[in-house]
Amino acid sequence: MENRLLINLVPGDTFLHRLTGKTKVRTFIILLVYIIMSFDIRLIMPLLILTIIGLVSLKTNWKRVKYFIIVIAAVNLLNIVLFWLADPDIGSYWCGGGNTVLLSLTGRLFLSAETLWYLSVRFIKMITSFMVSLVFILSITPSEMAAGLYSIKVPYKICTIFSIAFRYIPDIARDFNNIKVSLQTRGVELDPKKASLMSRIKQNVLILVPLIITSFDRVGNISNAMDLRGFGRGKTRTYYSEHEELKADKVFKAIHIILLLFCAYWIITQNIMPQTIKMWYPFA
Amino acid sequence: MSAPIVEFKNFGFRYKTQKSPTLYDINLTIRKGEKVLILGPSGSGKSTLANCINGLNPFSYDGVITGSCKVAGMETKDASIFALSKVVGTVLQDSDAQFVGLSVGEDIAFALENQSVPRKEMLPMVDQAARIVGMEDFLMHVPYDLSGGQKQKVALAGVLHGDVELLIFDEPLASLDPRTGMTAVELIDRIHKEQNKTIVIIEHRLEDVLHRRVDRIVLMNEGRIVYDGDADSLLASDLLTRYGIREPLYIMAMKYAGCGMSPGQKLSDIHQLDLSPFEEKLKKQHLMEIEKHVPKIGEEILRVEDVTFAYGKTPVLKDVSFTIRKGEKVAFVGKNGAGKSTMAKLICGIERPRQGRVLMNGADYMSLSIKEIGEKVGYVMQNPNQMLVKDIIKDEVELAMLLRGKSRKEMDEAVKKTLKMCGLWPMRNWPVSAVSYGQKKRVTIASILVLQPDIIILDEPTAGQDFRHYTEIMEFLDELNREYGITIVFITHDMHLAIQYTDRAVVFAEGEVVADDSVFKVLSDDEVINRANLKQTSLYTLARRLGFEPEAYIEHFINYERMVRVHGKPAAD
Repeated sequence: MENRLLINLVPGDTFLHRLTGKTKVRTFIILLVYIIMSFDIRLIMPLLILTIIGLVSLKTNWKRVKYFIIVIAAVNLLNIVLFWLADPDIGSYWCGGGNTVLLSLTGRLFLSAETLWYLSVRFIKMITSFMVSLVFILSITPSEMAAGLYSIKVPYKICTIFSIAFRYIPDIARDFNNIKVSLQTRGVELDPKKASLMSRIKQNVLILVPLIITSFDRVGNISNAMDLRGFGRGKTRTYYSEHEELKADKVFKAIHIILLLFCAYWIITQNIMPQTIKMWYPFA
Repeated sequence: MSAPIVEFKNFGFRYKTQKSPTLYDINLTIRKGEKVLILGPSGSGKSTLANCINGLNPFSYDGVITGSCKVAGMETKDASIFALSKVVGTVLQDSDAQFVGLSVGEDIAFALENQSVPRKEMLPMVDQAARIVGMEDFLMHVPYDLSGGQKQKVALAGVLHGDVELLIFDEPLASLDPRTGMTAVELIDRIHKEQNKTIVIIEHRLEDVLHRRVDRIVLMNEGRIVYDGDADSLLASDLLTRYGIREPLYIMAMKYAGCGMSPGQKLSDIHQLDLSPFEEKLKKQHLMEIEKHVPKIGEEILRVEDVTFAYGKTPVLKDVSFTIRKGEKVAFVGKNGAGKSTMAKLICGIERPRQGRVLMNGADYMSLSIKEIGEKVGYVMQNPNQMLVKDIIKDEVELAMLLRGKSRKEMDEAVKKTLKMCGLWPMRNWPVSAVSYGQKKRVTIASILVLQPDIIILDEPTAGQDFRHYTEIMEFLDELNREYGITIVFITHDMHLAIQYTDRAVVFAEGEVVADDSVFKVLSDDEVINRANLKQTSLYTLARRLGFEPEAYIEHFINYERMVRVHGKPAAD
């Protein structure tokens, strides 16, 4: 079957792919904390470089990823432009009060070095958090994700929702297509050239009725199949897809501890204790 | 005699949602190591009985139990479904929905995961279970790449672990092509013998299950057990016809010849059965002159010329050519993925050929939209629930006209005519959800017929239906063909259907048409049968054993059968 989603169902064979789900989920969560806690380019930039290396190492299909990267970059660019329009002087608040005007359009609309710095850092931060998520999604399978979440004490019934959802999304998509086709032969017009948007939306609602009914049938069967194989019997569960920890996982464990300690230090000193300067600005 | 594993005593079961019980006075003992077939028409309670053994009743479907049912010594009303699942493994009918893992290995491991078996112990167990069903080379495969037969094997492997002693198969043949079904029956038999498991098979397709010996058959009807004994005595009796179970074809042939059968004969095995007492009668019947059926066929309405089609780079159809004439009944047969459904989609214009042409009434259809083609060719899906979008029967039938902006008067006329044709006129104002499966099927057919298409294509019209419903649906379609001259294309795995109700079979294998001929010719050609994953019918075996030419014998049978069906049985001799 053609895989149109970014998600892999079969584990890949690169260094990152081979880590356990537990390592992947934990790394992801720690890195998110790491990104969120600061506006410091000295912390963010190395991570961005690492995620780019990570993405390349996954030997991913670029065609699949390109589209997402372009869209996310464009949306974030738009975002910072809007930020700038809303408050061109935002940089002076963050960078210690300076206001070095580089370019002045009108009295209200100007570009200062501080604002440029702040917005650039902001943009890089957003892109980095996207890249962390992208590498995470591309390196993990839904089953490993379930196992990883379970390892951080998420109840396994919730973890299973992830893997089950990915299992049946393609089936539901296939049902949807079948129903669409049968309605098209009966005269439902879904061709954008021949039917208006409103009428197409209305016609798509027609498809939902049988789709919901067939999906309910399927849910009944799935839950029977799960009950009959003892799902929900025990308090604990093990995972077939979660292989034993390899050397790399142990190395990651050490990295996790170091990173967590660093994050704790940073959050206490930079976020909780009162600060005069909000972000690191080398040109002050 | 070995110890009992299932013991029903004066057992009854009523679903909470229903007024009257589904099972009454069940007294049944299944012993360790037995292989039992539970036979019965739809609604006879056979699946309910199985669900009372594996604990789905009353765990998932709430209900009231009377009497006692003990499984491996546990009283089921006190035991949990989990405790039962350690002893009873169930393979459900829907091989797709029950595949909950994202890979073969994961699905086989699912029960072990739920028991918190450490992964180190789990791996060899998964490996072993996969080996038993022959799926050990597929452990990393995703479900979307597997055939129905392979998914079923995985489902079986997934319940083979540990102390499971009893395996229940709920309609294991329902969605398999004939050859795969035969392999499934062989696999079940091998598991029974090699793994020493007790086997319970729920089915209504008696002949296919009898491909391998069963120890006992339990026949159910309306919630009661009406027969419990060996297969031979059942076949010699008239119980099958009385309770709406399709008799094996060779038994039908022998009955047509007036052979008196008795329980002592090995009737359940066409290869072992001693034919000498029947030979004379069978020969006499074979020589009997009967009128040959000549279908009323009109002009050519559809021509497919050298059509090639591919999804992406994988070719699905290669140089396919055939024609369909008005009034014909044609079967598209072949295994799943052979290109039958794609061909149907091409005819409906949902897909268009890469090369070649499709001509409708002599004109190329490329300029027509799907909607316009829909007025010439109607497509009826397998599952009526996937087609029904309206609440009321009349509205459903009206939809296609409404979408074409026809006038009220025109619409009412067409709808009335169609509803009358389909026998739905009296229930035109009923809600769709209130009618039976067979009637829903009729509604979907009516919703297509309302446009008065030249051809209707039906995808597996009788899948999952018992003999009574099968006959009801097929007789209805046959009548549409006879009375109104509607051309019908059946996409089907069911060779009985092809034999009884079609004039011609177009056989697909690997995207090519490997045969396009009358059904009896196709079914006596070994090469075609092998390439298309079909299966010899028992008539073929019977003919061979009697020294008849199989082709002529099958043709004779078809003609005789049609005569009996359409005109009633002629006087014997």
